[in-house]
Amino acid sequence: MHTSITRKLVNETHNVFVMLQGQVASSTGSNLQSQMVMSSKQYRAILKACSMDLMHMAETCEDEGERESFEDQIQIFEMIQLIWGFCQILFIEVTPDGLLLNQLLDWIKWHFTDGKRLAVDILHDEIPAEHPAYWEAIFRLLLQGEVDSVRKLLSLNTSNQNEAFLSVDELLRKMPQWAHYHHALSAAEFDMKWRHWRDECQRRLEEGHYVAFPNLETLVMVLCGDENVFAEMKDMCGSWYHLLVSKMLYQNPTVRAPDLHHYAEACMEEFTLSGTRMGELDNILLAAIQFDIHQVIKDSSAFLSTGSWWFVSHFTDLLHHCGQLDTQNLAYGSNLREFLLLEYASSLMSHKSLWQVGIDYLDYCSVFGRTYITQFINHMSLDNEKKAHKLLHICEERNMQEEVQTICKVMGMKSLRRGKLGAALSWFLRSRDVTATSKLTERLIMEYSKTGQFEYTDILDNLGPAMFLSNRLTFLVKYREFHKLYESGETNKAASLLLSLLEARLAPRTFWITLFKDATPLLESKEVIFNSGQTYVLMHCLEELRHELDAKTDISQKLTDMEKDKLDLLQLCLTRNLSKAIKAEGTVKTS
Amino acid sequence: MAELSPKFVSQKISKIRWRPVQKQSLKAAEYFVTGSWDDDINKVCLWRLDQSHVKEEITLADNQYGELEPQKVCEIGQDGDVTDLCYVSIENLVSTSSTGSVYLYRQNSQGINVINCWDRLHEFNGQSTPCTCVSSRGDDMIVTGGEDGRLAILNITQTKPVRIIEKADSCTVNSVTFLTQSEILTVNSFGQLKIFDIRVDKEEPTKILSVNEDNTPLHCVDKHPGQPHIVATGGQDGMLTIWDVRKDRFPMTLLEAHSAAMWEVKFHPSNPDHLFTCSEDGSLWHWDGSAMGITQGSLLTGHGLGGSQFPSTHHQTDKISSEASPWISIESSRHKLEINSLLPNKSLPVNSLDIQNYTLLCGTDSETIYTVPLPNLR
Repeated sequence: MHTSITRKLVNETHNVFVMLQGQVASSTGSNLQSQMVMSSKQYRAILKACSMDLMHMAETCEDEGERESFEDQIQIFEMIQLIWGFCQILFIEVTPDGLLLNQLLDWIKWHFTDGKRLAVDILHDEIPAEHPAYWEAIFRLLLQGEVDSVRKLLSLNTSNQNEAFLSVDELLRKMPQWAHYHHALSAAEFDMKWRHWRDECQRRLEEGHYVAFPNLETLVMVLCGDENVFAEMKDMCGSWYHLLVSKMLYQNPTVRAPDLHHYAEACMEEFTLSGTRMGELDNILLAAIQFDIHQVIKDSSAFLSTGSWWFVSHFTDLLHHCGQLDTQNLAYGSNLREFLLLEYASSLMSHKSLWQVGIDYLDYCSVFGRTYITQFINHMSLDNEKKAHKLLHICEERNMQEEVQTICKVMGMKSLRRGKLGAALSWFLRSRDVTATSKLTERLIMEYSKTGQFEYTDILDNLGPAMFLSNRLTFLVKYREFHKLYESGETNKAASLLLSLLEARLAPRTFWITLFKDATPLLESKEVIFNSGQTYVLMHCLEELRHELDAKTDISQKLTDMEKDKLDLLQLCLTRNLSKAIKAEGTVKTS
Repeated sequence: MAELSPKFVSQKISKIRWRPVQKQSLKAAEYFVTGSWDDDINKVCLWRLDQSHVKEEITLADNQYGELEPQKVCEIGQDGDVTDLCYVSIENLVSTSSTGSVYLYRQNSQGINVINCWDRLHEFNGQSTPCTCVSSRGDDMIVTGGEDGRLAILNITQTKPVRIIEKADSCTVNSVTFLTQSEILTVNSFGQLKIFDIRVDKEEPTKILSVNEDNTPLHCVDKHPGQPHIVATGGQDGMLTIWDVRKDRFPMTLLEAHSAAMWEVKFHPSNPDHLFTCSEDGSLWHWDGSAMGITQGSLLTGHGLGGSQFPSTHHQTDKISSEASPWISIESSRHKLEINSLLPNKSLPVNSLDIQNYTLLCGTDSETIYTVPLPNLR
């Protein structure tokens, strides 16, 4: 179903579907009904265009197998169009007075075009009246109610000046047609007019005006609605539903939908008697005439859905909104419409590209749609960032916070595994994932201790308030700031920053030694940078560190001798600085 | 305004670009190229649009549905998603792929052919990463950026890259453009605008600008055709930001625009008072700044389609300069900014747009190309 041609069908009808759901939500009453009819026509137009594309492809196709599959598809589409057109008349485009013969005639003319084609051939012929299919064309057109075309053909006959022909022409001219009268007359008045006309036809027939021309006689018998002549005409109709419509035209033009099925069975019998078997299409149409919508949908699902659920799902959705469908719930919790939409959407979700369309359909499945979406999204592969961004938008639009978190985490971990720590950090920050950020930062800190170089400075220097997400991250950013201040020579600021880092206990304990090492050049410099108060704080921190490290009973974590020496040196530095500071503070400055 | 026409093309369009016309030619642009994504086989397709009926004034009666329908001329398959397309000259087309490779195509009477290919141009720790964007300078130089944060400068006639800036960015480079002959401008997933000077040998950018404090990713960038220091970017939050890159860290103006990520922003090449944007929320907007001028008026709240408000955060350190472009003085004349939404119904995301003369093209995730005639562009 999802070949390059039918993909156009999927996308075009998706637009119609979404518009329809929107109109259902916003309009009511007769306004809504006209929207429904328009949507139905749009669906059919798109289907027709697709059919024509397929026909074109089939003609230009060279591969036998491909051509066969095109032709199969075309056939299925033809059946769908027939059914859809018929059901539109019965269920959707219901006229206020309930009369539907005109629409049925239009439907027949649309789908059975042999009569017209023959007529065109004949008109181009030199001597039309002697064309072998002359009378066939006339009868075919007559059965479709194309009165004007029939008159034209008759006027081309050699005997057209004969009384009999003129009489028939008059009858045809005076034939009352509902299309011309339905604004002016009521159904009952029209019926009377029509009966009057038919009586006239019968009278002329009985008086033998047409005995000389057997074909004309048959023609007028048709006009009178004679039962037997229709049995002869069935070949011109080609199918029982054509016969049904033709009969109605000449026997009962004011027929209403619920009464159709009385006549339908007789027509069907005509055909079955002569050996034609009833196929699925016929069963479906019969079920429609009997107003058994569920049967229609069931049979369509069984026979016309092998390629795709496109037809039944859109069709059922339309009927549902027209109020024609029973909203009974099925055993598995949702109604028929939702069930079919879910089937259709699921088939789209398994397609590489059409999943986006599928998600839109799932949005309109109120019971299970959301669950389905969640499931599908969790199984989507996040090939690249752009796709991840799109999926994130889809989740955010539908308030699926958990999925947002999951996607960000997956993207972050992917970047992490490939060593793109910068990108990973940006993903974790986006989802405000504290644990992951902390872990990542610890890794960055460790890398710094190993290499002495800061990576990803373009991120670290520009984090803004995001740095407060995790303590570790705040520390790292501030630490980097300290280095920048130190390098640019702003030692006082650097010193107070370093002090606050230690005081706030933001750094991991293991890093304190490094911090102290960074402090050493500041302590050793000639100027007094750390005043006495600050030095006391530093000493306090050092003590704390020593205590903690000493208190560890695990031998492997005990300080090595070298480290103990370092701490002692540090103690010495601090003491020296303290003395410097006290001296400086105690000195009276001479101005 | 004449009707726009959709064309269903059976593949999701990721990029759409007009083919440039001869400089002296007065003909309207005829050919355009599209790239697809997220399909089993992705393609680069060349289309032809017969625009001989498009005149300055088009009445509704003149225009028929079928007149502006593009016809496919030829196509070629490509590995991976097509992530960006760029015409270097009339015959040479560069396409970048999500496999990290970059391809050079040329069209002749038989169709499109690959002339050159830089395989795995973008990779990280040995694994290929998607290449995300490309921009060209003159007839032969291009620069590409990717998810690996690398910038590669290539000459299309050579197989080895001219220069690779390995660590240009810690995050993904989403879009790149040549600002001047020697400067490259990039935007990344961390909301930063970076300017690189390629004459200098170091890897750090000469300038880094940030869109806001939340570091929302920036997806697209375009420079003003006449004044390259004016740059427009679009971000993950759908905001349109206008920058003067000579100035400080933050943008000149931020305009709340779309309700989802903005994928592409473009100044009209010959009429830069007009700007176009398209977004993940399925809309395509035309920003008409031609009525804005330099005025001394007080600040007024803006208006746009549907009564949406345009609050702006404005970091202005200098006085308004007296240059001719209305985009700089947008603060005091924003109420004259007209914004039109060009697509009738919002549906699936619009990924890409391109504009030349009087016709705008866009490609969407609902596998549609829209041709939008804009006869009234002043």
